[in-house]
Amino acid sequence: MSDSTGEEAALEVVDLHKSFGNVEVIRGASLSAHKGDVISILGASGSGKSTFLRCINLLEIPTSGDVYVAGEKIRMKSGGASGNVPEDIHQVERLRARLGMVFQSFNLWSHMTVIENVIEAPVHVLKVPKAEAIEAAEALLHKVGIHDRKDYYPAQLSGGQQQRVAIARGLAMNPAVMLFDEPTSALDPELVGEVLKVMRDLAEEGRTMLVVTHEMGFARDVSSSVVFLHEGKVEEQGEPRQMFNDPNSDRFRQFLSRTMQ
Amino acid sequence: MNYIIEYQGQLLAGTWVTIRLALLSLVIAVMFGLLGAWAKLSKNYLAQKTAAGYTTIVRGVPDLVLILLVFYGGQQMINSFGGLTGLWDYVEISQFAAGAGTIGVVFGGYMTETFRGAILAIPKGQIEAGVACGMSRFTIFHRVIWPQMVRYALPGFSNNWLVQIKSTALVSVIGLQDVVYNGFVAGRSTRQLFTFMFAVLLIYLVLTAISDTGLRWLDRKYSKGIERSDNG
Repeated sequence: MSDSTGEEAALEVVDLHKSFGNVEVIRGASLSAHKGDVISILGASGSGKSTFLRCINLLEIPTSGDVYVAGEKIRMKSGGASGNVPEDIHQVERLRARLGMVFQSFNLWSHMTVIENVIEAPVHVLKVPKAEAIEAAEALLHKVGIHDRKDYYPAQLSGGQQQRVAIARGLAMNPAVMLFDEPTSALDPELVGEVLKVMRDLAEEGRTMLVVTHEMGFARDVSSSVVFLHEGKVEEQGEPRQMFNDPNSDRFRQFLSRTMQ
Repeated sequence: MNYIIEYQGQLLAGTWVTIRLALLSLVIAVMFGLLGAWAKLSKNYLAQKTAAGYTTIVRGVPDLVLILLVFYGGQQMINSFGGLTGLWDYVEISQFAAGAGTIGVVFGGYMTETFRGAILAIPKGQIEAGVACGMSRFTIFHRVIWPQMVRYALPGFSNNWLVQIKSTALVSVIGLQDVVYNGFVAGRSTRQLFTFMFAVLLIYLVLTAISDTGLRWLDRKYSKGIERSDNG
């Protein structure tokens, strides 16, 4: 799908809905990210921001709405009472591989070393030759500053180190968009900085990123735009400094006064 | 001792039957166990209930009763069915097939629970990470679930396997010439029952000791990322 400028969006979400049983968690949220955009998604807990992110790579199947990855629409079909289901799981798998995901709880594979974690998906999903994947992985591990631990197992690393490995694992797929689901929420306070620094570096080199976060400093200083979700809808979005200095909606104003104390 | 040497051929032949029986029934048990665990964890109501019924029955009935039921009862049923329909005259179930099949299916019930628990022990987030990378269901099973499932299943699996080797002794009741049957026959005909049954005891000990070594090797192989976690 193309927008008015004719430039193809790296990611486009149109009127997304998601219900769990009778509870509608996402109630028509849209978003579009161009190449190089860093979009922070803010919202109180229960606002649906993590669910929204998880709907983008179909970890949760949206009840309705469309998702376009690099212009390609994820094809859905009606699955009866439970809402939509993917039409072609192979297409979904192919597009998921174009979206790097970083989880709150890292989710590294515990039976693999750091470097094995990073080359796993390139080798077994993208079918990259192993030697080539290792070379790329080593460069990524240097970038996130954890190359000296490449033969360690996840259980031997701190949370901050694990999360940096998880970021390298996502980058190894050379994704169109990186999705971050509260990447620093499970970390001890003194480890948050090292992860944010890596994310800041990625933003500076022009990575397209969608970041669900509680880190107001990151949202304000690093992101190119901010989306504020409230009860499953986009309540306000815009350029971060303008939004933080002069919020349009009362909800965002209240949210800021609660979180910026 | 002379008696043992005289009858060593029979003892060895019996041991070979026991080993083959144990290995074949293990393969059947693992297949039923994987299938059962998959069914118990699936969202399909019918599969869930079938697996629940299966494990309840086979774990709640003595192995010996099932072996006798399958070998004698099963034979009778097949033959009366053949007689009624005129499709066949007389069929004999092989003792080996009846024994291996029954023991395999029974221990498949225990394996079902072992594998189910092992799969549930894998953090869900690791499977989700595989999904998010675009892995197919097969790749996730092969690369993420299987290696960790083996590790979590090994203690329970080892237990089941040792009990299963010993359970093969039950087939001597239906006349299969395993190590127990041959040892017992030799002991009676030479009136040296103690000597022969003691030899049989030692043979079982050797078999279980070999298994133990193999299982420990597997445990080391699949404990990557666990054992070394305390010195990091």
